[in-house]
Amino acid sequence: MSDRKPGVYLCKGCGIGEAVDVGELEKLPASEFKIGTCKTHDALCSDEGVALIKADIDGGDINQAIIGACSHRVMTDKFSFNGTPVIRANLREQVAWSQPAGEEDTQMLAADQVRMAMAQASKTDAPSSSAVQELVQTVMIVGGGITGLTAALEAAKSGHKALLVERSDKLGGWANKWSKRMPHLPPYRGVEENHVGKLIAEVEAHGDITVMTDTMITKTSGAPGKFEVTMAHGGSDKIEMIGAIVVATGWRPYDASKLTHLGYGASPDIVTGVELEDMLGDGKLMRKSDGQKEAKYIAFIQCAGSRDPDHLPYCSSVCCGVSIKQSLQIKRENPDASCYVIFDELRTPGTAEEFYREAQEAGVIFMKGKVKSVGGDMSVVYEDDLLGQEVPLNGLDMIVLATGMVPNSTNPDTEAAEEEMNKYLISDINPAAGVSVAGYTGDTPDPVKRPEESIPPGGSILNLQYRQGPHIPILADGFSDSHYICFPYETRRTGIYTCGPVRRPMDMAESADDAAGAVLKAIQAIRSAGEGASVHPRTGDLSFPKIGHDICTKCRRCTVECPFGAIDEEEDGKPVINESRCRRCGTCMGACPVRTISFDNYSPSMVGDMIKAIDVPDEFEEKPRIIIFACENDAYPALDMAGINRQQWSAYVRVIPVRCLGSVTMLWVSTALESGFDGIMLMGCKSGDDYQCHFIKGSGIAKERMSKVGATLKSMALEEERVQMEEVSIADSHSVAKVINKFAATIGDMDPNPFKGF
Amino acid sequence: MTKPAPNTSEKYDLGFANWVYENVNGGDKLGLCMQCGVCSGSCPIGEQMDHGPRKLFMMIRAGMKDEVLSSNTMWNCTSCYRCVVRCPRSVPVTYILQDLAAKSVELGYAKPNENSKFSNSFWWSAKTFGRTDERLVTAKYYFSFGVVEGVKRGLDNLKIAWGMIKTGRMHLTMPHQIKDKAGLKAILAKAAEIEERESKS
Amino acid sequence: MSEKKKFTYYPGCSSQGSALHLDESLRAIAPSLDIELEDIEDWNCCGASVGHIGGGQLPNLSLTGRNLAKAQERGKQDVVTGCAACYLNTHAGNEKIKNDVNVRAQVNEALSAADMEYDEDLQVRHMCEVIVNDVGLDKVREKVTNPLTGLKVAGYVGCQTVRPFAGTDGGGNYDTYDNPEFLDNFAEACGAEAVEYNPKTSCCGGSVAVMSPDRTLHLIKTIVEDAVEAGADVIATPCPLCQTNVEMYQDAINKKYGTDFHIPVMFYSQLMAVAFGLDGEKDAALHRNTIRSEKLEKMAK
Repeated sequence: MSDRKPGVYLCKGCGIGEAVDVGELEKLPASEFKIGTCKTHDALCSDEGVALIKADIDGGDINQAIIGACSHRVMTDKFSFNGTPVIRANLREQVAWSQPAGEEDTQMLAADQVRMAMAQASKTDAPSSSAVQELVQTVMIVGGGITGLTAALEAAKSGHKALLVERSDKLGGWANKWSKRMPHLPPYRGVEENHVGKLIAEVEAHGDITVMTDTMITKTSGAPGKFEVTMAHGGSDKIEMIGAIVVATGWRPYDASKLTHLGYGASPDIVTGVELEDMLGDGKLMRKSDGQKEAKYIAFIQCAGSRDPDHLPYCSSVCCGVSIKQSLQIKRENPDASCYVIFDELRTPGTAEEFYREAQEAGVIFMKGKVKSVGGDMSVVYEDDLLGQEVPLNGLDMIVLATGMVPNSTNPDTEAAEEEMNKYLISDINPAAGVSVAGYTGDTPDPVKRPEESIPPGGSILNLQYRQGPHIPILADGFSDSHYICFPYETRRTGIYTCGPVRRPMDMAESADDAAGAVLKAIQAIRSAGEGASVHPRTGDLSFPKIGHDICTKCRRCTVECPFGAIDEEEDGKPVINESRCRRCGTCMGACPVRTISFDNYSPSMVGDMIKAIDVPDEFEEKPRIIIFACENDAYPALDMAGINRQQWSAYVRVIPVRCLGSVTMLWVSTALESGFDGIMLMGCKSGDDYQCHFIKGSGIAKERMSKVGATLKSMALEEERVQMEEVSIADSHSVAKVINKFAATIGDMDPNPFKGF
Repeated sequence: MTKPAPNTSEKYDLGFANWVYENVNGGDKLGLCMQCGVCSGSCPIGEQMDHGPRKLFMMIRAGMKDEVLSSNTMWNCTSCYRCVVRCPRSVPVTYILQDLAAKSVELGYAKPNENSKFSNSFWWSAKTFGRTDERLVTAKYYFSFGVVEGVKRGLDNLKIAWGMIKTGRMHLTMPHQIKDKAGLKAILAKAAEIEERESKS
Repeated sequence: MSEKKKFTYYPGCSSQGSALHLDESLRAIAPSLDIELEDIEDWNCCGASVGHIGGGQLPNLSLTGRNLAKAQERGKQDVVTGCAACYLNTHAGNEKIKNDVNVRAQVNEALSAADMEYDEDLQVRHMCEVIVNDVGLDKVREKVTNPLTGLKVAGYVGCQTVRPFAGTDGGGNYDTYDNPEFLDNFAEACGAEAVEYNPKTSCCGGSVAVMSPDRTLHLIKTIVEDAVEAGADVIATPCPLCQTNVEMYQDAINKKYGTDFHIPVMFYSQLMAVAFGLDGEKDAALHRNTIRSEKLEKMAK
């Protein structure tokens, strides 16, 4: 664009004026960038300071504001001018607050911060998003249990049409079997009535909810605001247009026939918790074997097939509460009954602690230990951890196995193609290939091979017509994708949200909360799509990747690496970006070997120019230069916080914020090396199965790309140690300065980059 | 008098636990114990106990009546109340131990030991004179072990006694006593009678 | 508190013997603190921590019942005691009687054997709590005419003074269980220096120390050793049994562990009496300590 009219505004407040000579900085725009407008102020964020900038914009003097003040993460409300691009140079947190005042190196750093911002401005345009569109507002909910019913009601109450799809012939799911429910109301002490019947009636009576039972989804294509869903119902196909999808397919009990070591099958009186629910109606609990004798001595065995590497490796979190509920029901009916709950660790999260207390007061006996054997003669022998001895329990009337939850991430009624399932045996979060990264100090993580039984058998629920396959990604242990570290309900398929036990084990009350949250996310996705804006983590971002099709080599790297399945391929291999599926992380940009993917305000050439704008002293000055590409989500805020805490780090470092390490193109690394930088560090989120990357795969992909940098360095006759990658979380603000200084020391020990000055 | 504790034939017969819940001072809160062990960890001389309070409480639940009532746990309680203020479930541990000690004497489990002898000497003074006369309680306590042991213990502590006498903190005259000894005697007799009556109802 | 406040005073059995000097010094400092003490007429033993074993729960509680019935004859003013065990038993018994109509009925039935009844809702309080909450440290500072400058004090609170009631509403909410500050504050208000002292609320062994010292000598050793290591001139305590145990067993500790401890153990009220410029013997009762503090005696008027 030729009509960019930038203006530079420098702030002297918050210690900037004391740390650096702002008067010197003021000369830079004119002398180096031919920018005529440059003003300083004692406190730019004051009404007067803001008015200064606004007057220049209103007067037509400038159409880009370059603000040299605090971090771009703060004062965003003050420095916001109706869509006028604002570029920030961080002179406060990363200069005045983290460098010694008045020193030459501090001044050089401040000057480079301003240079980088001016270079950035020269390649920044206001994002031109697609226009506001009319989109479908209907929320489709898959699964008619407690979670799905609640989700449908929440969607309808928020003014959206809801389509509730259930594969069986009636609504209610497992809750239909429950005699009572665990408490969800204060004081969280008593067993409560099961409300599923009421919930079903409410859903069926609501005019904005359409219920389809006996229905399977055979095809899902499109994007948020315009999903096209094909359903099979009564032998015919039905197609519906859908705005967003909530997956609430729930769970099923672990197959107890695999628990013969706990006596299942040896006696009719050894039952699972789910089976006991059927027997706990009103009135006395009778033994299953004869139906005559009242069950008075009942042992509950917790973690039956759970937290067991041979069965379910995880904790289902609800089984302890369920056994407490069931034993309380038995004690209420017959106070003389003895209920023994044998547990390894009793897990009563949140208010369930109160419920546990209630059971203790009612006289339920909790015994900590490991079960050694269960006999068909109704005996249990266990090693009591608290008494330190083996204890036999004989002559029991009933033994209840508290079995865990298996997520319905797949549809057990259909079958998946074998090669389809094999894909899920290797985690797609952790790169299958071993990764070695220069400077990476930890052990290289092994690719995660999942036990076959952790993948629930069955076909796809949604049958997505995406390049990445028909499933919502399935995580370790078989649960459906949900980035619960930061954003519950989020899946890697934008506009599709999981909630309830399909994403992690939870009880009815938690499932209902989860449903409400997922529906809100679904509505947000529909509305954001309508405005052409991103959903989080870059909520509201109007920029989106543009592909230069004339240069594109159809290499498919962008479609493969996109963590969100946002890019489809046309038959000839041409990539097509589904704007409303895209999260704007830039991983496609980092992937593109011909650098033809860019955003209006973020591009390979923009960052390249920023790198080149930095003044690199020649080798005789003995002032090395290090560039850090810092992830904006965690690493950059950690640095800001380190500055707020007045930690100091090497003044030779220049930090460039990036949307995600996935967006870092190898071009920037080579540009920096050719420009004479002595060291390069990528600072971003943890990758692997327990990733903290806000774009899931971005940092993992960066790690993989970096593993190939060694060869490039060698070809340039440079040391591999010059390029490093560090995992930094937002909580690492206390140590991030040390990490930088250690790297700076390593670089300082090396000879200067021989490319300096070329 | 307390109702006799039921005999338990096997582990986790709840008869004994229920007896403790109903008859031991503070026992009604015992069911709330979640076996965290803060009590045992806080105990100043817990290492001298057969079982720490945590384990003793689990043994009560497990119906181990004989082991519980004949253990030395409650006799090692110094009544420092650290367990009481720290218990996350507000179980009055000290009170329970104190009363279990009384119950073990009452039910014939506690062999005469230092504590029971001391307690008896103490109560004798309180009952007879209305006050604890430290000299008499100590003397009676020492001689409850027999004359020889009594003289030995007395001699062991002679220096202490002499220090007390010198500073006027131990007297050699008539025991301290209240005026209305008859009234107090009547009150204590009546109280014992009420306790007996209540245990039978 | 500017006006005089009247309390019904429960001296407790130790006031007649081992803790005579607590009783004497408390009575001596009370007027300076604007406290008037009126003894419970013909008070009896509280039962301490072992009474129920020899006598049973209800007879033991009836001891407290009788004391409270006698206290009520003095009027509705609060009952105060300086003894930790008396406070614990009487306060706990009183709360039990007040909160449980059945217990009150049983206690009153027993009391009726001597034509007595307890039908008031008195408050039973510890002297230290009264000094913190009613008198206030400012008043203590104000009354100091003979500051104990240079005296290093290890504030040893012990157990039952603060546990289990110091942090409860009924107990006046005046300090914490594990790290109480009031005793250090008393010492500093008197012009002394409170040294950094960890075993503030460690147990001295209580009555177990009396009946079988071998089981508890190591506890007292820590209490003494830490005070000596912290450079304290004296240990200060509010508790009669702690005072006697920690003072009397130093010889036995020296014998068993080959140490050479000889540190005075004083009541806080003795320090106050000296700081208030009262008589060293008659009021502060310094001559009643078997291990005497020359430093404090020199300071005394």
